[in-house]
Amino acid sequence: MSLKDISTSVPKKDHKGKVSGQLPYISDETVENMVYGVLYRSPIAYGKILSIQLPNFPEGYEAVGAEDIPGPNYVKIIKEDQPIFANEWVNYIGEPIFMLVGKDLDVLHRLVDEIKVEFEEHQAIYTLDEAIEQKSTSACLASYEFGEDKEIISSIEQGAYQIIEEEYNTGYQEHVYLEPQGMLAIYQDDEIVVKGSMQCLYYIKNALLNALACGDEEVRVVQSPTGGGFGGKEEFPSLMACHVAVAAKAVKKSVMLVFDRSEDMVVTTKRHPAKLKYRTALDREGNILSMCVDIYLEGGANAGLSSVVLQRALINSAGVYKIPHFHAKGYVLKTNTVPNGAFRGFGAPQSFAGMESHIGHLSKLAKMDPLEYKRKYLVQQGDPTITKGKFHDPILMKEMIEDLLYTSDYKKRKREFQHFNQHNHRYKKGIGTSLFLHGCGFTGSGERDHIKATVKLNKSKDDKVSLKISNSDMGQGILTTLCKIVAKELDLPYEEILFPYPDTKEVPDSGPTVASRTTMIVGKLLERAAKKLKTQWQTGVEQEVIENYVHRQMIPWDEKTFTGDAYPAYSWGVNIVEVEVDTLTGNVRLEKVYANYEVGKVIDHMVMKGQIDGGLAQGLAYGYLEKMTSKQGKIQQKSISDYGPPTSLDIVPIQSKVFDNPYADGPYGAKGAGELTLIGGAPAIQAAIEDALQTSFWQIPITPEVIIESLWKKEGDES
Amino acid sequence: MITFTLNGRVVETDAPATVRLLDLIRDEFKLIGTKEGCGEGECGACSVFVNGLLQNSCLIPIGSIAGANIQTIEGILETESFKLLDESYSAAGAVQCGYCIPGMIMASAALLSKNPHPSKIEIREGISGNLCRCTGYNMIVDAIHLAAKKGDGLWQKK
Amino acid sequence: MAEKVISYRFAGLDQTLSQLNREDCAIIAGGTDIMVLNKSHRGVLPKISKPIVFIDHLSELKQVYQHHQNLHVGACCTYSELLEHPLIPNVLKKAMKTIAAPAIRNRGTFGGNICNASPAGDMLPLLYLYNAKLLLRSAVGERVVSISDFIQGPRRVQRLSNELLIEIILPSVLEEDGYVVFEKVGNRNADAIAKVSFAGLIRIKNNRIQTVRFAFGAVGPTMVRSKDIEKNLVGKPFPLTDKDIAKVVAAFDQIIKPIDDHRSTALYRKTVALNLLRYFLSLKTNQLN
Repeated sequence: MSLKDISTSVPKKDHKGKVSGQLPYISDETVENMVYGVLYRSPIAYGKILSIQLPNFPEGYEAVGAEDIPGPNYVKIIKEDQPIFANEWVNYIGEPIFMLVGKDLDVLHRLVDEIKVEFEEHQAIYTLDEAIEQKSTSACLASYEFGEDKEIISSIEQGAYQIIEEEYNTGYQEHVYLEPQGMLAIYQDDEIVVKGSMQCLYYIKNALLNALACGDEEVRVVQSPTGGGFGGKEEFPSLMACHVAVAAKAVKKSVMLVFDRSEDMVVTTKRHPAKLKYRTALDREGNILSMCVDIYLEGGANAGLSSVVLQRALINSAGVYKIPHFHAKGYVLKTNTVPNGAFRGFGAPQSFAGMESHIGHLSKLAKMDPLEYKRKYLVQQGDPTITKGKFHDPILMKEMIEDLLYTSDYKKRKREFQHFNQHNHRYKKGIGTSLFLHGCGFTGSGERDHIKATVKLNKSKDDKVSLKISNSDMGQGILTTLCKIVAKELDLPYEEILFPYPDTKEVPDSGPTVASRTTMIVGKLLERAAKKLKTQWQTGVEQEVIENYVHRQMIPWDEKTFTGDAYPAYSWGVNIVEVEVDTLTGNVRLEKVYANYEVGKVIDHMVMKGQIDGGLAQGLAYGYLEKMTSKQGKIQQKSISDYGPPTSLDIVPIQSKVFDNPYADGPYGAKGAGELTLIGGAPAIQAAIEDALQTSFWQIPITPEVIIESLWKKEGDES
Repeated sequence: MITFTLNGRVVETDAPATVRLLDLIRDEFKLIGTKEGCGEGECGACSVFVNGLLQNSCLIPIGSIAGANIQTIEGILETESFKLLDESYSAAGAVQCGYCIPGMIMASAALLSKNPHPSKIEIREGISGNLCRCTGYNMIVDAIHLAAKKGDGLWQKK
Repeated sequence: MAEKVISYRFAGLDQTLSQLNREDCAIIAGGTDIMVLNKSHRGVLPKISKPIVFIDHLSELKQVYQHHQNLHVGACCTYSELLEHPLIPNVLKKAMKTIAAPAIRNRGTFGGNICNASPAGDMLPLLYLYNAKLLLRSAVGERVVSISDFIQGPRRVQRLSNELLIEIILPSVLEEDGYVVFEKVGNRNADAIAKVSFAGLIRIKNNRIQTVRFAFGAVGPTMVRSKDIEKNLVGKPFPLTDKDIAKVVAAFDQIIKPIDDHRSTALYRKTVALNLLRYFLSLKTNQLN
């Protein structure tokens, strides 16, 4: 099928295997000479390991721990603070201390229950508030500050009509990928092959090289079909990979580690809970004179990728607005709870939820419709970013907003709801909007300095073209979209382009599958490689074309001063949501959802629609449905139903439209889309609930409990 | 020994009566299409048919299905119903990571054989026990709706 | 490598009861509660230490019939079977539809849910409202017990180890001249455990309340019902005055004592329970149909 317009949808490459259930995910595989692994995990939140008493092991069962790690005992990521097997201090409930391996899972679990470890328990820090209160330097895992001079802001505040201070809190979000985490180490004398559910092959390979202190040829990483990731399989799998690889080396057998759902819910990384503080100076009409934003992220027990999450949260802290005299600072604080990590949006969802909430509240003070108020501050092409970068490219937000107002009949609906609410006691209706963007690609100079992506296109003797990249399809459809790009460039049928599951033995490091970079950055490299291959094509000859990342010089990013162009490009979105709130129960019902997006160019309509529907469902649920809590260091929701991700009865059809705005450095003009669609959900639903109840909220998720408490307080105030 | 019919074949096992049907299907009979997503009957990835009824195999102790007729996704691959659902799911772009899909297909087949022309809401009810985290359900609902339209007359109680 | 698991699956009820008379066994009907309660890890057998007796195939436990003024529902009828049965009243079907999801309803049994006696059991408020009775049988006899006596606390029922729950007995004429409501409040629209549930029944005659009953679920260890509060309303003029409504709400405020847990808060549960009660009490004549 030759593709007239790249956006035209094609049947997905991996459809057959998935729909028949015959495509094997890692837990569907067994290999010869394989044993299972079960982790012994810390039952305490913070303390020292004093002694370990292991039961007698039957033949074929062994314990693997820190002493079996050939290299240093930490998972290589950014900081060196995440032990592979904790052997001195434990820092959170659930931290792995060692692993038992053997043939039978029931024997393994019985043995784990017989293990006796003595701890010297120390006072743990359980919450973000406790960490903030303690102000200890050891608890700060990362911090940045930038923006307007504080003295200038001070003087502006002195002349202001009023100063509004708000504190906003966001909760955990758990990925609930349908396929729980799983990793297999295949033991061979000269090479350990680690295979499993993952997003970032080379993160894992680098962690293994470090842990096994081995040569490059001695370890190999292969991606299995991955049943969902959403960031939850970005950095977390490196820990599991180290576990199985160290164990495989120690016992000289292949080792399989697969999590139960209840285990996965409790010990894997989650979205950072955040506290955002706003301090805004206003004039008499309610116009913004200056704004200070402080962001606190709850890091959990080790740093992981938290510093980068904080960066993105800060870079997005002013939303889509040009705020005069803006200052921001942020901290990641350590708590003795499950370490938090990547989740679709990566700091941006927290910032947009907070900022859209704050600006919505300011609009009420100015007695303006929230959308009207927001539009006053909307950035335009050419405007500086808050990090002294620039919005270089055309911005279609005005057009997208007008279009969505029209499609949703916003003004009329708002009036109708006001009328309905006056006459209806039990149910209240509301409509809310959100405006948002997402920076595509790795933050700052990451692509140029750290990733340095390389792609290869290989053509066999019989002229079959294969993609050689390290990026993973976890459902977002890159097996399809990237092959389309190459097929179109080579003028070949899409079905004939091959994209085998990546294997570090075969593929260069084209970077991790994160940060909405795959289509834009890797796709662009593939587009260039395919163009090159086309001009160099020799029938019947094996050929390989390599392309390396070329950094377009914009305003250079300086991490120390936190200035420059943080991202090469931005994708944009507008959401409008209608809800009905049951004031007796606090339950919120989605009525209508509208979404407009601009992602440069759509590489496949259906794949894009899948990202819209799926991302927005997650984003909305982040705002009102999904709740995860931690008590005394223990995650309280061990089952999917207790946590509450949406079922088919909780979601409504999403009316969406994607605008074209080709970006020069993206393949066919495409930018990133994977995370954008989640970001607008929570702020839009908060705005809709606020409109319905004519009240304000300062947190998400706005659960029925939060609503009932708010209504109860309101009633108390009124009586 | 527990004897039952699995995908049309009479089979027997000496596994204990409290072994989950899910584990028996996967470990003893090496059928991988039925997946474990939660182990608690909350996600539908382990959906099978027991005497023609959609059930979660992670909650079924094999002792209770002695003599029953069990069908996994492998057991319906050759049917017209499956082929139509396959086409419809593809046409609607409904498959992303794929982990929920065998269960969704089972739930779709179960729904359509009972209710050949379901409304959109009835479709949502029919798959309300199948969790999907990638698609937000809408394209799956469209796929089932499409299959219902295309399969007119095909869906009869089997 | 498996542990020794002893299980029985008899062809008939009598043989089953004889076995239960001989030894204390774990009863498995649909298994949807017990397999979750006793769930172990992936690849490990559920933690059930007693010998197991499977019962959901027994046809004697799947009968649905009317006898005089009563509806008899077999304990091992699945929710799906009952949803299709013409004798089952609509309001009970409405409650059944809120349970879990289709696959669970294809397996979960009416009796199993009752014997599980979860404080959040979805059928329980209506069963209490209807003063449901339970027929228990053993190898040596049978007895009928009211549901409020049978359920003694979370997961605790008054079933002797040699007894099986055979039938649930309900008055067959439930809604005639009466208006029944059932509301389940969960965290999402399917697969949700109730945070609060409310069932209410009211019968009006000559503009006065003839019968009124209330039952609350998920706000205490067992269903909350007060025959005293109900009695005090009989004879009052309908629609109720604001004063009367406030009195009833205040009375329940005293006896509804929910807890905080990982699903919800005590404040939420109590407020919502009383909201639903107040709403029910405030219904006007034209809303009862």
